[in-house]
Amino acid sequence: MLKRLIYLLLLIVAPLLAFSNDAGPAMFKKGNNLYQKANYKDAAAAYQKMVDDGYQSAGLYFNLGNAYYKTGDIAPALLYYEKAHRLSPGDEDIRVNIQFANSKTTDKIEAVPEFFITKWWTGFILAFPASTLAVFSVLLFIGASGLLILYRFSGAVIVKKISFYSAILLLLPGIGTIFISGRQAAYFDAHHDGIIFNSSVNVKNAPSGTAKNGFVLHEGTKVSILDKNASWIKIKLANGNEGWVGAADVREI
Amino acid sequence: MKLKYYILLLLLFCTTVLFAQGVKFTASVNKTEVGTTEQFEVTFTINSNGERFVPPNFNGFLIVSGPNVSQSMTVINGASSSSSGYSYDLVPVKEGIYTIGPATIVVNGKQLSTSPIKIKVVKGASAAQANAARQQQQQQQQVQGQQGIVAGHSKDINRDLFIRADVNKTNAYIGEQLTLSYRLYTRVALVGSELEKMSDQNGFYSQEIKSANNPTAVQWRIETIKGIKYNVTEIKQNILFPERAGNITIDPMIMDFIVRETVPSADPFDNFFGGGSYNDVKYKIKSSPVVIHVKPLPESGKPASFSGAVGRFSVTTSVDKTDLKANEPLNYKITLKGKGNLKLLKPMAPEFPLDFDKYDPKVTDTITDNENGESGTRVYTYLLIPRHGGKFNIDPIKFSYYDLATGRYVSQQTKGFTINVAKGATENNVTSIGADKQDVKLLNKDIRYIKTDGSDISKDDEGFYGSGLYYFLLLLGPLAFAGALVFGKVYEMNNSDAVKVKSRKAGKIAAKHLASAKAQLTANNKPVFYENVFKGLYGYLSDKLNIAAADLNREKIATELKARQLDEPTINELLETLDLCDMARFAPVSGISEQEVFEKAKNMINNIEDKI
Repeated sequence: MLKRLIYLLLLIVAPLLAFSNDAGPAMFKKGNNLYQKANYKDAAAAYQKMVDDGYQSAGLYFNLGNAYYKTGDIAPALLYYEKAHRLSPGDEDIRVNIQFANSKTTDKIEAVPEFFITKWWTGFILAFPASTLAVFSVLLFIGASGLLILYRFSGAVIVKKISFYSAILLLLPGIGTIFISGRQAAYFDAHHDGIIFNSSVNVKNAPSGTAKNGFVLHEGTKVSILDKNASWIKIKLANGNEGWVGAADVREI
Repeated sequence: MKLKYYILLLLLFCTTVLFAQGVKFTASVNKTEVGTTEQFEVTFTINSNGERFVPPNFNGFLIVSGPNVSQSMTVINGASSSSSGYSYDLVPVKEGIYTIGPATIVVNGKQLSTSPIKIKVVKGASAAQANAARQQQQQQQQVQGQQGIVAGHSKDINRDLFIRADVNKTNAYIGEQLTLSYRLYTRVALVGSELEKMSDQNGFYSQEIKSANNPTAVQWRIETIKGIKYNVTEIKQNILFPERAGNITIDPMIMDFIVRETVPSADPFDNFFGGGSYNDVKYKIKSSPVVIHVKPLPESGKPASFSGAVGRFSVTTSVDKTDLKANEPLNYKITLKGKGNLKLLKPMAPEFPLDFDKYDPKVTDTITDNENGESGTRVYTYLLIPRHGGKFNIDPIKFSYYDLATGRYVSQQTKGFTINVAKGATENNVTSIGADKQDVKLLNKDIRYIKTDGSDISKDDEGFYGSGLYYFLLLLGPLAFAGALVFGKVYEMNNSDAVKVKSRKAGKIAAKHLASAKAQLTANNKPVFYENVFKGLYGYLSDKLNIAAADLNREKIATELKARQLDEPTINELLETLDLCDMARFAPVSGISEQEVFEKAKNMINNIEDKI
């Protein structure tokens, strides 16, 4: 029984460690070295190449954002910070740097204040990355199942009791982590955000070139994406204003 | 008689002729070239009694006073003559050449008119300029006296009167000071001058050099260029500090000058004694444009504390006391001394302890601007008030500048101070304001450093959460548990009937005995071999047929096997084998080898296992 559990654990952990020694991290180290030497432009290029090759992690996006910030490209910096924030919502470094980058954007938008319970709840479900929660839920479930099997086959009453209650104790947080990661996925599904990429963008009142300009946005401003078609994106600002912008003016996080 | 009449008639005519010749109506002005706002007088004179005087239209002039009528009568040898004058004081309004038209008057029924007069109106000269012009004229005369060159004959004014824009260097770094001087070179008499357009100095911070002793007086000196002596004066001198890189053109400066040109008199004697009249002519003089090549400061080796100082500086700091009580003022001075763009320096931002109240610094400049550039000292005085007792450090200031002489950046550091603040008599609990703290915090902070741990980099688009593996592993635990439940159930069901369990295990026990028998066979221990085979078969049948060992005999085995529908020949063969083994345990048997017996027993068990 113990042997089987160890095999199961190996089965879970192995894929998580599987990528630790291929080409990606070598490039990542190269980017870090370039960044350390203040060669931000080349560092950004190295990180960007990794991202283009399909690699992803909160750290990679964060570093790419930092490199862009240092070269003065605020819009891509914010885009990658926000991407990093999605992968690791509770990371304080990412949040601080988003604040820094936001202080360099032109548009100062007063956000509509959130109800404090909503704010707490969002903070709670975003505290850990979904992948971490997923690993925890798998481990808790397997642990709980193992204890239940032990309870089933054990002869001694004391062993039966301990294994049963500890199985329940593991099962509850297991269900909790599954629920939270589900809420997190739903949150990000419902919150499609984008970053304005053009230095000055006219926000139209309707998805057509002849529509009147509602307001003007500038590079780096974060907007919520409400709707999309081939060439127009409906956006909403933190202060509640809505409008349409060309698809090329916004990049989705 | 007749002749007498003729003579009389002739004389009569003569007087009329004389009389007629005597009537003159003339117009005159006291000057033909006037400046605007300058008064002049026009006089119309008639040497007879006239009536119905009609003045001309004074277009372009304002009448200040007039007509002022004057009359005079003279009687000479009984002949009386009278004259009348009508004079007007006029002021021109605009520059240009104007004509005062004819005035008319009627004398003895005859209308007479004056000839028109041309008046040239030039831009008016102020009193100061007039003074300057006078001075200039005297100088001019001096030059003439020394040299004997008479100016004014050449019509090529460009050679006699020009403005030169001189810069002391045409290549400069951003922030490097250069001197721009406009010099007037003249060999002609100047009556007046007026600035038409000052040059634009876009791309420069410009600082005018004011003459130290007397800023208004014009200082003349003599300079010789290609053997020709000129009177030279500085019109304007500026210190320029380039603000951006590139080739920057300084536009020309344009000035208007009124030159008094002598017109030689027709009379050579008059000419000889310096007589003759003059014309005042206006010329527009333009300086040539100047191009400055501005280089950016080198990027290599630029220190972090560099904020644009170019030249040579030294920085010192001082405090007026190092021991004081809380809430007492403390003066902290930063003195910058040197030559360069002192006035353009950004205020330094020294760091003071947060517990000190800091006020905006007082800037005291003692900076002189002269031909050599800008130099002097600038003192920033900070008033600090410590609010709490304790030992505080004022950190040293780093200041750096670009040294033009060596072409390198030079960094200087002042000394820091330790301030001992004793508790004040009334130490209030005012802590530094939160907003201030926040500002300082944000100023000094940079973005967080990159993450160096790349172990979680993956190539998955989705990540672990939501992947197939995730769901599989999540279900693995509950599935394993369900499997365990099913397994347990089946296990229990199988083991609940002891007879069934025995019969199921019979084959295994028999196999054990046969294996032991095989070992004896190889050891050639025949009696033990047969005993093992016998035990194996008996034990097997006892378990399989559920017969207690005490009841186990040939007949019982035969009936039980028959009851389980085993065919007759197999039963007989089994019984024969059993007999054979029983016998062989005590006496040697012939006709059959041990190997054959072993195979037989084995086949028998296999047969029964298959069938029952």
